[in-house]
Amino acid sequence: MNKKRVVVVCPGRGSYTAETSGYIKIKNKLIKNRIDFIDQKRRELKEPTAIELDRTHFKKTLHMKGEHASILIYSCSLSDFLLINNNTFEIVAVTGNSMGWYSALSFSGALDESNSFEVVQTMGSMMKEKIIGGQIIYPIVDDSWVIDKNRKKIAIESVKKVGAYISIYYGGYLVIGGEQEVLNVLLKSLPPINQYPYQLPYHGAFHTPLLNKISIKAKKIFSKKIIQKPKISLIDGTGRIWSPWSTDRKDLWQYTFDDQVLKPYNFSALINVALKEFCPDHLILLGPGNSLGSAIGQIMIQKNWNGVNNKESFLKKQNDSPYLISMSLNDQQRLITK
Amino acid sequence: MSIFNRAQIIDDNFTKFVTNENFPKERTILSISNNVFKPAELISLFETQVLSRHIDLKSRSLKDAGRCYYTIGSSGHEGNSVFGKIFSHTDLAFLHYRSSSFFIERSKQVYGTTPIYDLGLSFVASSDDPISGGRHKVIGSKILNIPPQTSTIASHLPKAVGAAFSIDRAKNLQILEKQLSSSSIVICSFGDASANHASALTAINTAGWINDWGGHVPLVFICEDNGLGISVATNKNWIESAFSNRPGIRYIKTDGLNLIDLLNQTRKAEKICRINRSPVFLHMKTVRLLGHAGSDIELGYRPLSIIEETEFNDPLLHSSRILLEKKIVSKEEIIDLYEHMRKRVAAIFNLVVSRPKLNTVKDVMNSITYNKFKRNLPRIPKPSERRLTFGKEYNRIEENNHMAKLLNYALFDILLRYKNTLVFGEDVAEKGGVYHITADLYKKFGARRVFNSPLDETSIIGFGLGLGHNGFLPIPEIQFLAYVHNAEDQIRGEAATLPFFSKGQYTNPMVLRIPGLAYQKGFGGHFHNDNSLTVFRDIPGIILAVPSNGRDAVRMLRTSVREAYINGRFVIFIEPIALYTTKDLNKPGDNKWAFKYPEVDFEAELGEFCVYGSGEKLTIISYGNGLYLSIQAKTEIEKKINKKIKIIDLCWLSDIDIPKLMKAISPCKKVLIVDECRKTGCHGEGLLAQLSAIDNNQINFRLHAAEDSFIPLGEASKITLPSKDSIIEQAVSLVNE
Repeated sequence: MNKKRVVVVCPGRGSYTAETSGYIKIKNKLIKNRIDFIDQKRRELKEPTAIELDRTHFKKTLHMKGEHASILIYSCSLSDFLLINNNTFEIVAVTGNSMGWYSALSFSGALDESNSFEVVQTMGSMMKEKIIGGQIIYPIVDDSWVIDKNRKKIAIESVKKVGAYISIYYGGYLVIGGEQEVLNVLLKSLPPINQYPYQLPYHGAFHTPLLNKISIKAKKIFSKKIIQKPKISLIDGTGRIWSPWSTDRKDLWQYTFDDQVLKPYNFSALINVALKEFCPDHLILLGPGNSLGSAIGQIMIQKNWNGVNNKESFLKKQNDSPYLISMSLNDQQRLITK
Repeated sequence: MSIFNRAQIIDDNFTKFVTNENFPKERTILSISNNVFKPAELISLFETQVLSRHIDLKSRSLKDAGRCYYTIGSSGHEGNSVFGKIFSHTDLAFLHYRSSSFFIERSKQVYGTTPIYDLGLSFVASSDDPISGGRHKVIGSKILNIPPQTSTIASHLPKAVGAAFSIDRAKNLQILEKQLSSSSIVICSFGDASANHASALTAINTAGWINDWGGHVPLVFICEDNGLGISVATNKNWIESAFSNRPGIRYIKTDGLNLIDLLNQTRKAEKICRINRSPVFLHMKTVRLLGHAGSDIELGYRPLSIIEETEFNDPLLHSSRILLEKKIVSKEEIIDLYEHMRKRVAAIFNLVVSRPKLNTVKDVMNSITYNKFKRNLPRIPKPSERRLTFGKEYNRIEENNHMAKLLNYALFDILLRYKNTLVFGEDVAEKGGVYHITADLYKKFGARRVFNSPLDETSIIGFGLGLGHNGFLPIPEIQFLAYVHNAEDQIRGEAATLPFFSKGQYTNPMVLRIPGLAYQKGFGGHFHNDNSLTVFRDIPGIILAVPSNGRDAVRMLRTSVREAYINGRFVIFIEPIALYTTKDLNKPGDNKWAFKYPEVDFEAELGEFCVYGSGEKLTIISYGNGLYLSIQAKTEIEKKINKKIKIIDLCWLSDIDIPKLMKAISPCKKVLIVDECRKTGCHGEGLLAQLSAIDNNQINFRLHAAEDSFIPLGEASKITLPSKDSIIEQAVSLVNE
């Protein structure tokens, strides 16, 4: 039987919330070993373990801090990734949003178990002392999730005007990064749409030049040797494909700790590449949470993918026969797990 | 397995030969020190080659299932992946149709692009295809700077010369509209058989000619020589013999089956071209696999042993050998990669076949004149600027003048206002054109904007097309109407089709001035008096202007430039030579055909016609010389029929609003169409058909056109043409019918 082709999408910061408390489920020995490894490393660092965090009542001040959120999210995604049934599904590419890139590196085999932990832990802890800048999120779609050109134009012009940066092209939203005082101006000046513009708590100005020091520091900490050729194709935050054969390890290292940190993360472009250049039977969104699902749906709508052209048709298709399989939804998770 | 299914054989052989390490020997001996490319780069190129091959194989199987079209493939030409790597995506590329590898590799320079999916859409003619919208299987992309080509007859080469020339010229003139970076170059690729086409030869000639004069043409001609033009073999050394010693053009040869040699020689060609800003002829020797196209059975004209020998020289086998020799990958990894890419391509193509197609006439036609990138008009120059430009002539523009002088004034204003306009052609510079329409422009605007071309019309028009790709608005001159015929395909096959095949992402802004038509007795016979515009009649999307007097000519020329500038339109502007210096209408010295130069902002509307008189008994419809003669005949006709008549000057022979014209004719029941061109195929013939079709037999139409003859010399030059007397005769006879 031909295996179904799937592309795996790893979520980024902000995906672990009060609703996802207790997400990590140790369903087999492999998962247990991998999570144990992470927790052992955390103990060595005298940090709460992933399991401890996951089992603790959610507190923004604890769970959303970079040094905890990153490892928690990585652990959740890892446990989901290891549940995918390899007998019936072929993972043809792995990708992720923002810090989900580190998860993607790990799951593709570009980082081994130990280096995966080091990268996620270290990059998540870079702003332990002080968060550099921040991020706000703002919609550029209408209520049907169709791009509103006027909203998009206003948002982009406002970003330019105040000296902020596009941090993430996030489907129907723009994530905007910048210094706090610049973001304060945008929080007041962008036309309010429901609860937006909204500042993402405990988020730095990721994927902007403000993180230059972080990039320099990361390149000092991590040797080029930590990166291997991926065993599964990777799609990065520019939409570039890193293949198992032609990947130059130094280039991938450079991208990961330089461009990826300092330049906009184009989640919209990478999903477009995933859809068109791999034509998977399904996209699989790893947990925790499902918030990235709406962004993916909005991108599918923009591309008129799979007969989806607005929110209603997307939700209907998802209900009838989901193209996007979200591991955080039990009904959908069952479709692809062993 | 059938020996006819070469696709299956080549596919199977690849796996078998790699597994057994049974590889073709290298054809080019290289020193290792020449290799400065990283292993990952070589594998990446190989991946591209494999993807390209699987696209060919998959398209063949889909063609058999009736779900894919036009399976002309890239197999054997996968070496052009190296061109996609070495030349920057900012270097405009006019490509050969066997360029899938180039396209895929160049896409890697622009992250987020989706080359396999986009190629798939093009192969299955889906309206989702981002470049042609399902109109053709073309390799093209706006973001990758690849204007779509069909490239079958090398007709894209002349514009490559123009585009290359435009780069340094745009920099020097500081053209605001320029599209290409100043350090960029242009490439164009074509096959060995296409190298025999007149359009290829004239382009190569012109590039060398310009370079020899000291001009800059940073252009790499890439001849992908597979040794065959469908079934006709190219002599082994023909391309090298024919092109290795061209003046002004550096020749470099490379082995299209050897990635290392390709990388080295292409890098060399690229550097020479980019640094010296001069043309290079890069000759890639390769093979053709899978026949000319899906329907081509090579066994019908080539022995099996030769086919098998060629297939053994598969570029993918050569690349595999190189990767193994350099210990970059194992043979198992090669097979794994090959099969992985097969599955990927299959998944993509199996999906694209279900994407939407063009379904309606409107869908098909809506890109014929579409321009996705409209511009705002530049401001009208101030009087002080105009005075400075016109010099002493400024005081004379209020005087009544003939068409030649007024057109000359118009060009002064146009060059002043539109800084991106260039005037070129045969004799247009110092001499000011055979009829002095471009007189003194050279003095005023300089040799960078007004210059002579070699005596070759294909080059002139192609050159203009290329200039248009880089923000220029070319206003070339073809010296005589008959000369345009040897360059017809540049209009028909290239200019007119570009917006159609690119969904308006690429256009050909140009105003092509052509002195022409008959009624001269002193100069030439049929060549200088050619009276046929039929060649322009059936080309969708072009604008055809034929003024009959100086005042309208100026207004229409301004409109033509505006249409080219804003809407990217290709305009053919016919100037009736016989009316150039005509000042009088009815008798010598009456000066009734001399006009004052229209105010600088006074333009005509596209398709607007002029109505003379308001009579209801008869309407004469004409243009150009026919209009002039009809006006001359008007008084006498009115006298003979004792009624007033109406004369309509079409002015534009395209974009005619037929219902509006019918209204203008009303309430006349007699319509005489006077056409100075040959009656078979003239525009009057078409107009007659169109008007008759909507008239319900209420109106009596008659066409009075020139005989189907060529024009003789001297006194006999007007015998076959409508005259004042014949128009009177036809008009009276029609009224009395």
